[in-house]
Amino acid sequence: MVNATNLFFQFLDSFAFIVLSAIGLAIIFGMMDVINLAHGEFIMIGAYGTTLAANAGVPLPVAIAVGVAVTMVVGLILERTIIKRLYERPLDSMVATWAVGLALTQGARIVFGNSLSSIGVPFGAITYGEFSYSMYRVLLSGVAALVLVGAYLVFTRTEFGVRARATIQDADTAQAMGVETDRMYTATFVIGSALAGLTGALYAPTMAIVPGMGSSFLVEAFVAVVTGGSSVLLGTTLAGGTLGSINALFSNLYGTFMGKIALLFVAVLILRFLPGGLSGVVTDLRERMERESV
Amino acid sequence: MSGASNGLLGLFDRLCEPFNGSNTIGNSRAFWVGAVVALAITFAYPLFVSAYQAGNTALFLLYGLLALSLSVVWGYAGVLSFGQVVFFGFAGYTFGIVSINLGSTLGTTLAIPVAVLVATAVAGLLGYFMFYGNVSGVFVAIITLVVTLVMQTFMAQTAGDKWTIGEVPLGGFNGMPGIPNLAVGVEGAALTFSGDTFYWLVLSTLVVVYFGLRVLVNSRFGYAMVAVREDEDRVEMLGYDIRKVKLGVFTLGGALAGFSGVLYASWGNYIDPSVYSLTFATMPVVWVTVGGRESLLGGLVATVAIEWFRQQLSVTGSEWAMVVVGVLLLTIVLALPEGIIPYVHRKAVGVLQQRGFVDPDRPATATEEAAE
Amino acid sequence: MSSKSGTDPNVRRTPAVSATGSDTSRLLQTEGLTKQFGGLTAIDGVDFGVDEGELRCLIGPNGAGKSTLLKLITGRLKATSGRIYYDSVDVTDLDPHERVREGIGMKFQVPSVFESLTAFENVRLPVQRVVDGDPTERIVETLERVGLAPERDMLASDLSHGQQQRLEIGMAAALSPDLLMLDEPVAGLSIEERAEVADLVTRLNDRGITFVVIEHDIDFVDRIADEVTVLHQGDIFREGPIEEIRADDEVRRIYLGGQ
Repeated sequence: MVNATNLFFQFLDSFAFIVLSAIGLAIIFGMMDVINLAHGEFIMIGAYGTTLAANAGVPLPVAIAVGVAVTMVVGLILERTIIKRLYERPLDSMVATWAVGLALTQGARIVFGNSLSSIGVPFGAITYGEFSYSMYRVLLSGVAALVLVGAYLVFTRTEFGVRARATIQDADTAQAMGVETDRMYTATFVIGSALAGLTGALYAPTMAIVPGMGSSFLVEAFVAVVTGGSSVLLGTTLAGGTLGSINALFSNLYGTFMGKIALLFVAVLILRFLPGGLSGVVTDLRERMERESV
Repeated sequence: MSGASNGLLGLFDRLCEPFNGSNTIGNSRAFWVGAVVALAITFAYPLFVSAYQAGNTALFLLYGLLALSLSVVWGYAGVLSFGQVVFFGFAGYTFGIVSINLGSTLGTTLAIPVAVLVATAVAGLLGYFMFYGNVSGVFVAIITLVVTLVMQTFMAQTAGDKWTIGEVPLGGFNGMPGIPNLAVGVEGAALTFSGDTFYWLVLSTLVVVYFGLRVLVNSRFGYAMVAVREDEDRVEMLGYDIRKVKLGVFTLGGALAGFSGVLYASWGNYIDPSVYSLTFATMPVVWVTVGGRESLLGGLVATVAIEWFRQQLSVTGSEWAMVVVGVLLLTIVLALPEGIIPYVHRKAVGVLQQRGFVDPDRPATATEEAAE
Repeated sequence: MSSKSGTDPNVRRTPAVSATGSDTSRLLQTEGLTKQFGGLTAIDGVDFGVDEGELRCLIGPNGAGKSTLLKLITGRLKATSGRIYYDSVDVTDLDPHERVREGIGMKFQVPSVFESLTAFENVRLPVQRVVDGDPTERIVETLERVGLAPERDMLASDLSHGQQQRLEIGMAAALSPDLLMLDEPVAGLSIEERAEVADLVTRLNDRGITFVVIEHDIDFVDRIADEVTVLHQGDIFREGPIEEIRADDEVRRIYLGGQ
């Protein structure tokens, strides 16, 4: 018997995990056509930063900020030194960022050992009947929603956002109109890194802090990016919603592993039958409605 | 050397001719003479070292086969695949399952083609899904990476009795032990390979595959592959079905990776999910990038060198191996994208041309010049 | 083969309403061909026909849909509705490479040759598909025909713009297509280079290849064309001999200032 509340919480959890795993990667890919294969390591850095700060006595919210800040710095360095040389070479930038990720993972192992002691999960659990669910993980769905809304506002309502979107649309024209495209790319990459760091920071209390922890997020991140389609924020949201509900349903009925399999299966279907991705469906619908109303 | 094709030298040149072409480096007589010498040395190697060392080197050589599979798929057809290890693993596990279940020398012999076929089928299926689904470039790389990740997660949780095929448990994290040595024949009249003989088997396979790929790469299909890598749209408008070309190469890559996996499983008599680990999945990309993407030889040489180096580092207890590998990969991508072997070859050819050892009339291969 | 089409040049063709029973005996005939991108209609119910042996130029202001029409005919874009008949065969649902094998060839707007291959190797790609056995002879022949024989071992990226255009035309012609579609073959070329390309195209046309050429250079068009089709806002505005079109006031007007 499926408990409705339990299923709902599981959905929120999945939604949060998928959205937060993907958002940093999706923004960088959507804006710069660069796949940052060090994405997992950025998440790891955010987690490590947060854990180290928290273990040193810093209150959790501040520790999370620390984690994010450290990741942003790493992202900035990476972009200025390596990424900027590889803008027109998407496959090469994949290999290069992968190389960096390798070095970072092993570097973390060398410097910090095989694991760090984890921080406890705050807020305890909600109990309902004979079930209980971690309040923290449910609340992360709220954070995920805030991140999506925040990103939307930044990219549509701020000066920066408008300039950034102009750069994606047509970098040459944007540059001719005085937009410093290089700065745009750097800023975008730093934002993407910050979001990845945030993910690591947020999930740090719930996971084992090991150098390879970033790879736990990769499948969801890549799948969301690939099925999302060309509209970054819409795609990530839809992916989180669709894949999250499938994952929650099957996990609830058959266990976490089957949940993941179901998620992948649906992703395969989307890839096969929806060439424009999930956001493509919405964009098509919108266009068709416009056409009909003309 | 004079251009006169007299007797023995002329025969030698004619023998080498089918393997020459502008899509491979090393087409001169000097190269082939060097190749013959190198072959002689590598074949004689086990006579001068212990069986253990020969077996150890055999591991590097079978990795070389895995490198060749990526070289042809990525270097020549432009399809970046992080998934060669998937086919490697599928074949290795299948070989173990079939050979242990059948429990005879004949069974082991049969397991070889079955395993390679499984790997090829998986590659064909994945390839069909991607290329006929209009997935390209970056997304192919991502999908192959995701498949690798999924296989790792899946295989790691196959511990326990319910994950048994026939009499063979998959073993989860602990892997599958007891895989027999490669054998060809029937009980009593069979050839079993281990130690020195295993080394020679791997080396021979590698040589045959290398020569075969040289011919393929310089053939019509080879040019089609290169054109697909260079400009898909253009080659489509010349009447080529690019999906078929990519599927064909990808499936071939799967078969080669699969055979490498069979060799691996029988080398250690063991296989576990670490073959699907991200680290191992990356290594072919490292080998091929560092060695030279568009060079079959480059991938081979880099594989042996890098793996030997990694082994040295881990023997001394150093944890820096993967950091060094990461830095090496990064440096090559940024500073020497053509790879080390093509670079060295270019310089060597330049020097030899100046000294008159190589016929200057023969134009440098297109890929070499392009790298300049 | 006569380079004049068999149709009466004094009849000004108006865009036909899409109908069944269009003339599929022509080498190429589209029927009600439409392409929509979201809310934008790029090609609007076009009935475009070309006779065998013609040298047709397709002109029109920017954004008229010329390249889109070419992409629809070669299959690089899928039509929203309408049909395309080539040599009496309905090719509307065929993939691009299948249409190429039927006999349609094309040259891209931006010169697309294989940069890291030599000219010889570039021509090898089409030739090896149509020649069994050693392709060398045919490759050399093709290179000579486009005047690139001395450059055979040069990398395509080292060739001049004009040489690249000719190489690409040569590659497309090497397949012995019946219909060759060129998208702006002389863009960015010097006057001599334009003359060379005009020469090449007319020679190939005399040998039996039907051409549809998109071009902005009106002198070039004047030099090579039999008939001209003027495209405007996704539909055929005028069709007729070049002299008529040049003299047509309305055509001049749609070009924002005339030519």
